[in-house]
Amino acid sequence: MADDSVSRRSFLKAAGAATVAATSTAGCTGLTGGGGGGGTLVYSRGDHPQNYDPQQTTSGEVAKVTNQVFDTLIDFKPGSGGELTDGLADNWDLNGTTATLTLKEGIEFHNGEEVTAPDVKATVNRFIDDGYEYFLGKNRSGYSSVTFGDWVDSIDASSDYEVTFELTQQYAPFLRNLAMFAAAILSKAQIEDSGSNPDDQADLGTDPVGTGPFQFEELDNENQRVRLSAYDGFWGDGPNVDEVIFKTIGSNQTRAQDLINGDSNITDNLDAQSIQQVDDSDTASVVQKNGINVGYMAFNHARKEEFRDPRVKRAVTLAVNRSAIVDDIYQGFATEADQPLPPDVLGHNEDLEPYPHDPEQAESLLEEAGATDLSFELATFSNPRGYNPSPIQTANQIASDLDAIGVDVEINQFSTFGSYIDYTYGGRHDACLLGWYTDNADPDNFMYVLLHPGVEASELSDDQRHISFDEKGNASNVSAWVNKDYVELVDEGQTTYDDESRREIYLEASQIAHDNAPWMFIDYAELIRGVHESVSEDSYTVSSVGGPYLELVEMN
Amino acid sequence: MASKRFILKRLLLLVPVLLGVATFVFVILHLASGDPARVILGQRAPQEQVIQLRQELGLNDPLYIQYGRFLVDAAQFDFGESYVIAQGNSVRSVLADKIPVTLELALYGQVVGILLGIPLGVISAVKQDTLTDHLGRVGALSGISVPIYWSGPMLILAFSTYLSIFPASGRIGSTIFLDNHWTLLGMQLPLTGMVTVDTLLLGEFGAWTSAVTHLFLPAMTIGIYSMALISRMMRSSMLEVVRQDYMRTARAKGQGSKITIMKHGFRNALIPVITVIGIQFGSLLGGAVLTETVFGIGGIGTMLVSAIQSNDFPLVQGTVLTFALLFTLVNLLVDITYSYLDPRIQQ
Amino acid sequence: MSTDTATTDATALEDRTFLDRLRSSQFLSDLLSNRLALVGLTIIIGMVLIAIFARFSYDLGALRSSQLGTVSDRLAPGWTGTGAVDQHIFGTDASGRDIYKRTLYGAWIAIKYGTVTVAASTFLGVALGIIAAYYSDLTDNVIMRTMDVLLAFPSLLLALALVAIFGAGLWKVVIALTLVYTPRFARVVRGAALKVLEDEYIEATEALGAKDPRVLARHVFPNTLAPVTVQSTLNYGLAIIDFAALSFLGFGAAPGMPSWGLMLSNGVANGLLTGKWWMSLFPGLFLAVLVLGFNLLGDGMRDALDPRMRETVD
Repeated sequence: MADDSVSRRSFLKAAGAATVAATSTAGCTGLTGGGGGGGTLVYSRGDHPQNYDPQQTTSGEVAKVTNQVFDTLIDFKPGSGGELTDGLADNWDLNGTTATLTLKEGIEFHNGEEVTAPDVKATVNRFIDDGYEYFLGKNRSGYSSVTFGDWVDSIDASSDYEVTFELTQQYAPFLRNLAMFAAAILSKAQIEDSGSNPDDQADLGTDPVGTGPFQFEELDNENQRVRLSAYDGFWGDGPNVDEVIFKTIGSNQTRAQDLINGDSNITDNLDAQSIQQVDDSDTASVVQKNGINVGYMAFNHARKEEFRDPRVKRAVTLAVNRSAIVDDIYQGFATEADQPLPPDVLGHNEDLEPYPHDPEQAESLLEEAGATDLSFELATFSNPRGYNPSPIQTANQIASDLDAIGVDVEINQFSTFGSYIDYTYGGRHDACLLGWYTDNADPDNFMYVLLHPGVEASELSDDQRHISFDEKGNASNVSAWVNKDYVELVDEGQTTYDDESRREIYLEASQIAHDNAPWMFIDYAELIRGVHESVSEDSYTVSSVGGPYLELVEMN
Repeated sequence: MASKRFILKRLLLLVPVLLGVATFVFVILHLASGDPARVILGQRAPQEQVIQLRQELGLNDPLYIQYGRFLVDAAQFDFGESYVIAQGNSVRSVLADKIPVTLELALYGQVVGILLGIPLGVISAVKQDTLTDHLGRVGALSGISVPIYWSGPMLILAFSTYLSIFPASGRIGSTIFLDNHWTLLGMQLPLTGMVTVDTLLLGEFGAWTSAVTHLFLPAMTIGIYSMALISRMMRSSMLEVVRQDYMRTARAKGQGSKITIMKHGFRNALIPVITVIGIQFGSLLGGAVLTETVFGIGGIGTMLVSAIQSNDFPLVQGTVLTFALLFTLVNLLVDITYSYLDPRIQQ
Repeated sequence: MSTDTATTDATALEDRTFLDRLRSSQFLSDLLSNRLALVGLTIIIGMVLIAIFARFSYDLGALRSSQLGTVSDRLAPGWTGTGAVDQHIFGTDASGRDIYKRTLYGAWIAIKYGTVTVAASTFLGVALGIIAAYYSDLTDNVIMRTMDVLLAFPSLLLALALVAIFGAGLWKVVIALTLVYTPRFARVVRGAALKVLEDEYIEATEALGAKDPRVLARHVFPNTLAPVTVQSTLNYGLAIIDFAALSFLGFGAAPGMPSWGLMLSNGVANGLLTGKWWMSLFPGLFLAVLVLGFNLLGDGMRDALDPRMRETVD
């Protein structure tokens, strides 16, 4: 079939790039000569965004590409569960409210200019400083505040290779924030060349220039593809292929088949059936890894008085057969959850066990709490997300399990995730299915962001069990649960820099969350990728945060 | 001249309709659930940023101001920027990218439909009430009863899964990339966005073959449906012409060959068929949503579906408005053509 | 415009009205002598029986929930040689559910929601059309220009846009499609009604002081029945196709529902490239046959009402 033919021009271009790579290794620290066999790596995925600016997106599909084109100051170690390693900076230090980073010298952007402190400053200012001439304005993404905006007071970039951030408060996760894809370092020259209108700045994402292992070559929206070429001046290990193509195939099964045929080399977002398909094939295999995410059903404490009694929440949890959900609906590509923090994250409490499935105890708990006539609305989204491959079926299962103990659940289904988030963040649900995957693998990214009310602990009373959505300061907390001990621990964890002391704090906070059950904990989902045999064994590692690290991939 | 007045009248009638269409589309944004600012910023942004963005987007302005702004912008084909799908890109540029994809598909589908449908209709009419005619009629009726989202998968099963003759999805081989302009007499000219044309302009014949094989099944899927409609219309139109002419001729000359009359009547019989082809072209644009979904083609249709799913309101507005405009214009064009061909229409 | 052709066709009735025809049984005998229309009618009656059978024989809950663990997924029909001849005669889907039962139940869903949609849009269309025709000037203009606006969108696109407002779900799709179809009925009815109103007879009745509703009910409404019946029948097929289309695109039936559109979408997603043909073949075949039934009957009715309208397309 004509599919497989490579046009003459792109072949020549690729060949040309290989020649350049072979002759200009001098001065590049990490280029492994002769390690890889070159070639084109085709990565297929389910969606094709049209703008590749790390500051304009909350989409993982965009991050997959920008992570190839850009680097962050600090990076996640490939394949680790969120361990930090060198990025553009080789030295960093967080002390009190001051973070100091030293940049490596001699690293060049794809346009040939060297990376210096002013690039870092311009990058951050573009994202958060409305006084900056090239501020991204209304085009900046939701990461603007959570990455830098809420924490950075000022940046000093007076010397070429040293950057100093002055923070608004002690904030332990800050270094991890620097490793998030949204914190990728842009070129000051490109920012300034783009013009001062936020709409002009938005165009940066159609031809991004970074320091990463691959250069952005072509954005083909008509055919939903992105083409990158190897950057021979890359400072780190790799790249080992000449070219990377991201192509888009909406149907999971078609994507799996495309992989099996060898028309693509790596693919992601497979569902149970297509995983089976890949697994059954001779030419491709399934690679999996624990993800850093959590799926849950949040009880709205502000709206539903019964939920302020932990016995009621425990009863609901006990009544639902969560292991059946994980085994049958998620088909085993997830593990049962028992606390907010997934395994691999600092402070995950190994001593905790999932609540058993025990409808009888559930009934007696409800009786004890005087809530035998409990009934509630369960809001849910419709389309699969990483932590929940089948939300409607999950909701149906929950409803029928609760029906068995006489609790009436009315399912309220949303067809779009955007309006669903608007609804739940507005606190209009009784209970809702949601989940979270992290971008920085820090415990604070779960414990504070999802369960802390976002107000000072001193404003809370000891026996307070809920907070209204108007008073609540933390939008992504949809349970409006309050437990002063928990709040104080999480506040302390946020400002503690020593890892061991932090672990102790979160172990205790996890225990409180488990016991009070502000959520019905459902699952931690696994990450699944399909890899074709043309990819050298073990050269591609699945990363639960950051990545994919395509510069390390070698082709047979 | 009467026809000029006719056209002018139709054009004037278009104004209130288009205004209504624009108003309707504006209402979509304001009735649809979901705060656009939250939709853009997603699950992670704090409330303060959402509130600030609402202000920046002008969503706190009084409704009539927003409506006025929308009308003024829409009149200049400015539908703002995409919220989600192509965040930061103007809806206009997204549409400019995607329209050729869908148009190419619809055009080829229609060509298949015309090339097959007209001869079939003529044969059916000539052989009226024979077995051929009955088969043709039932076939045509079946053709319009079969939904595109079933005929498409059936074609894929037969020609792609089992026979491996044609690819099942996409527009061109995944490793083929084309230049973004072509050169004529030293001038750099933009491409059309239609792969079967662009590959020829660039002289890439291997790529052209790939594009054509990719387009074959989707074009056939649309073509079968279109063929059924056109052949039905062609048949009845031919018979109508015969009915009128036959009587007249029969009176004048005593008797005339039915076939001869059909030969003469063919041109007249085409007139109503043109109407159907035109009207149908509009609905083809709508039907492209389904074809593109089945064949994994990234045109307007698939984009609209994901825009709706991700609450990308400006993109939904812009797409729906553009389609309605195209649809209305095509219908107008059909009416005008019709009135030229058959002046009795102008009353 | 698109429906002008339909309007002229439908109103181009001979001088005899629908009721006259029915009375003389000319219509019925014409219809019954049309063999294709009879085939159509038979198909429809058969499908209705299947639908009723499925509705009362199968438990919807069981049809919706995954059977994995007890039944293999994507099992070929037994008679293809993979098992007992009568085992899963249409095969199973990606969740191990029996496609035969689901396809039969799909008939119930299609006919139920199709009927509501057609009934609602016919009722609204007739009401609006007659009102527009009877009260000229402002009322007429407001109604018909609104209809023009709705007609300015390709139908599936309008339905999608409305779903964007209402959200997904079967009843929401009913509302969306009702709004899409209503203008077509309104136009046809208005055209037919205007013709009757032009009749001196009604002017005479009015002169004698008959009240509005009586004129509408006794004279205008019966005369619009003919074109409305044809339009309804043809629209039935369209409604069933569009209904399934929206489910196919993910905006109609909730996941798990045995709707034909959703089953086809599952077939495309999980069985196309691996050659699991039964997942797509059977639901689509039933859908196409039912729609063909309505189209055959609609065509036949049109022929019976007016032989000159034969084979024109709306």
